[in-house]
Amino acid sequence: MKTYRKFKAVLAASVTALSLAGCSVKSDAASAESAQSTSGQIAVLAREEGSGTRGAFTELFKLAEDDKDLTKADAEITNSTAVMLTTVSQNPNAIGYISAGSLNDSVKAVSIDNVYPTVESVMDGSYTVSRPFLIAEKEGSDNKLAQDFKSYILSQSGQSIISDEGYVPIDADAVYEASGLSGKLTVGGSSSVTPVMEKLAEAYQKENPDIQVSVLQTDSTTGASGTVEGIYDIGMLSRDLKPEEESQGLESTVIARDGIAIIVNPSNSINELSKEQVKAVYTGEISDWSELLIDEN
Amino acid sequence: MENLRPSVPVRRIFKADPESLRCRLPGGWNTARESKESHSSRTIEKDRQGKFLRVLTWSGAGFGFLIMASMVIYILVTGLPALQTSLFSWTYTTDNVSMMPAIINTLITVVLTLAVSLPAGVGAAVYLEEYAPRQSRFVALVSLTAETLSGIPSIVFGLFGMLLFVYQMNLGLSLLSGILTLSVLILPLILRTSQEALRAVPDTMREASYALGAGRLRTVFRVLLPQAANGIFSGILLASGRIIGESAALIYTAGTLAEPAFNLMSPGATLSVHMYKLLNEGLFMSQAAAVSVVLLLLCVAMNLGQFLIRSRMMKGKN
Amino acid sequence: MIQTRRESAMKFVFAGCAAMSVLCVALICWFLFPNAIPAILKIGPAEFFFSADWAPEQNRFGILAMIAGSLCLALGAVVLGVPIGVLCAVFLVYYCPAKLYKPFSFAISLLAGIPSIVYGFFGLTVLVPLIQKCFGTVSGKGILCSSILLAMMILPTIVSLSESALRKTDPAIYDASRALGASHDRTVFYVCLPAAVSGIRSAVVLGIGRAIGETMAVIMVAGNAAIFPSSLLSPVRTLTTGIVLEMSYATGLHRQALIALGAVLFVIILVMNLYFSSRKRKEMC
Repeated sequence: MKTYRKFKAVLAASVTALSLAGCSVKSDAASAESAQSTSGQIAVLAREEGSGTRGAFTELFKLAEDDKDLTKADAEITNSTAVMLTTVSQNPNAIGYISAGSLNDSVKAVSIDNVYPTVESVMDGSYTVSRPFLIAEKEGSDNKLAQDFKSYILSQSGQSIISDEGYVPIDADAVYEASGLSGKLTVGGSSSVTPVMEKLAEAYQKENPDIQVSVLQTDSTTGASGTVEGIYDIGMLSRDLKPEEESQGLESTVIARDGIAIIVNPSNSINELSKEQVKAVYTGEISDWSELLIDEN
Repeated sequence: MENLRPSVPVRRIFKADPESLRCRLPGGWNTARESKESHSSRTIEKDRQGKFLRVLTWSGAGFGFLIMASMVIYILVTGLPALQTSLFSWTYTTDNVSMMPAIINTLITVVLTLAVSLPAGVGAAVYLEEYAPRQSRFVALVSLTAETLSGIPSIVFGLFGMLLFVYQMNLGLSLLSGILTLSVLILPLILRTSQEALRAVPDTMREASYALGAGRLRTVFRVLLPQAANGIFSGILLASGRIIGESAALIYTAGTLAEPAFNLMSPGATLSVHMYKLLNEGLFMSQAAAVSVVLLLLCVAMNLGQFLIRSRMMKGKN
Repeated sequence: MIQTRRESAMKFVFAGCAAMSVLCVALICWFLFPNAIPAILKIGPAEFFFSADWAPEQNRFGILAMIAGSLCLALGAVVLGVPIGVLCAVFLVYYCPAKLYKPFSFAISLLAGIPSIVYGFFGLTVLVPLIQKCFGTVSGKGILCSSILLAMMILPTIVSLSESALRKTDPAIYDASRALGASHDRTVFYVCLPAAVSGIRSAVVLGIGRAIGETMAVIMVAGNAAIFPSSLLSPVRTLTTGIVLEMSYATGLHRQALIALGAVLFVIILVMNLYFSSRKRKEMC
């Protein structure tokens, strides 16, 4: 009996410790939010090498020189937007970048050269940090379904879905009319394109109830190679085709553009950065938030 | 006080082993402590060490329990608020990321993977335990490869499944590729648990069966496998748990499509993969937390099943 | 006649089943190595294994940092996880009141069943901020955080295997020790635990294997920078996360190099198993 009581005591102690830990984390976060001090080392987050987002980011911020990626070696790497968002929303010293379509309230997007990433600013070209969303098909493919779906995406109704989702539509004036075709269509590739492609597929299936579109989320490279191998009818890419992929007989069509937002913790007092500053942060030249503040003043 | 501490296994030993009973002092194992406590300062020092060890054990166990509790509390706190009935509607749409298709796919995957792997695993166990000569090289090779298989990281299985089933055998990203990959993954698990279950069947059973004129085959199917059924079933539950929790081996083989894959050649996501996908773009964090609650429940169910079986086995023995 | 033919036919069927696992390992080798070995030769074995410079876009494939990362995490997980795991096992076998046994072992086995991706999110949202606050570092991600998480994940393996090892010890030694006047506590720690040490060692080996192979949880909390780990808090990339991070985008030699990473992992596990089983055989003799 005594031991049982002892165990209860241990249990109670552990539960209290746990809840205390939980509380302390919460209060810490709160104090971090209230304190507007923005100094301390910058925690730099980057996407994995080869990802569409990173490719576009390094290109647009001129972090690639002589075929060399200048992103500092000890930058944290993640392959998921969710991890990027969670980390930045928890860490007051973090900076990262994500697709503008995935922005939410838990993080703060900073303006680049005084322009905020919005659909309009990307469309009129004033926000320059953006990348294309592509779909790829085999050259000379006579898949009628694929052609029809493509024409739907490029029509007014397709493009309006894209802009509703926070991505940037391309010029479209064609009006889509249901084709009355039936069959199955497999679309696969980039995880960045997947969310909007699922929306497009849903709307398309409403227009054509006899067509079933499956959207598979993998990644840009699998999107291309899968299309070459015939696993997908249409591949989705969030980067341009590589020369070796084009030589395998793929052709691509831009269906939308996507801004890349530079994000910081909401408690961070910095609201704007210049392209040079972002570059300096990612190369490691600037390693402390205070240096950025001095620059601003 | 302390000496009344019920120490389960020790009691069991005494029950089971009259030999050791006879060895004990008349006063039982309490006597030693009592006589020792009345000794010199040196023994007190010793006792301090004993106390330290006891506290160490209790705190270690408490810490282990704390870890478990924090995991479960974490899952419930983040997931329960997001758990809505709409998440169980039959179709997945981008507005309502229902996990029903993923649950269906998980069921299909568990059943079919076991259908592939169970006969092979149990058959192999029967061969190793009942047919093969004990010291043969083949047995050593099989157990070595089975151990290796069970140690291989699931991402390597994913790579292998992608190269063999998806590309080489041209099955494409499909639930079938995923099922085949997982069958390889759980094979060693089934093999090991069935082997242990068969080993636990007493030899007298075999002898009795042979003495009654039954052949080896009949002995295996009529005597040994029914006797080992409980152990094999607990292995099945263990394997199911592994299948349900697997994500790394499935992403490159079965794909991430959130539609029930009644046609095995079409891709389909199981619950874990569904959760991975929901997390990937950061758009559905709370829904992913809800999925983790369902995964936890499944896990509890598997464990409860195993406990029931184990207690049934205990009863069977007594 | 038919009877015996059926008997021998079934014997072959069973033998065929047993050969499955051999076949599977052979197939895995068959598909991994033809991709891996040419890639390693093309990169140059010396560069591949002994350079810590991983920059696939610039065709520099050195995996030393990742091997070091994997080993660091496995070591960290064992250092943190094994003592607690063994203590839990000792508790279950020698101290646990009968009433508590079921809930406690249920809790431990529950821990084993939670999918790793859930652990990953637990690490990311609970452990990372906690470590960041405690150590005041730039980011909580890194070796320490991943090791703690891995220690949690290997805990059930360690506990259940150590428990069965302790249960397998000869009960007579316990009685003998008590008869000599040793207390319960001292007997458990100085007699029973040493007697179970070979079983506990196998638990540790399996734990290391699981820690090296873990992917989905580590990828969220390790920081994943492909640099040689310099401190407990520096970010780290392991062999497994190296594969998952870049497999998605890799083409050509890069992709083959990643498959080679998988092959290296496979060889590590194989060598560990071979060493372990030879040791076991020696002990049996």
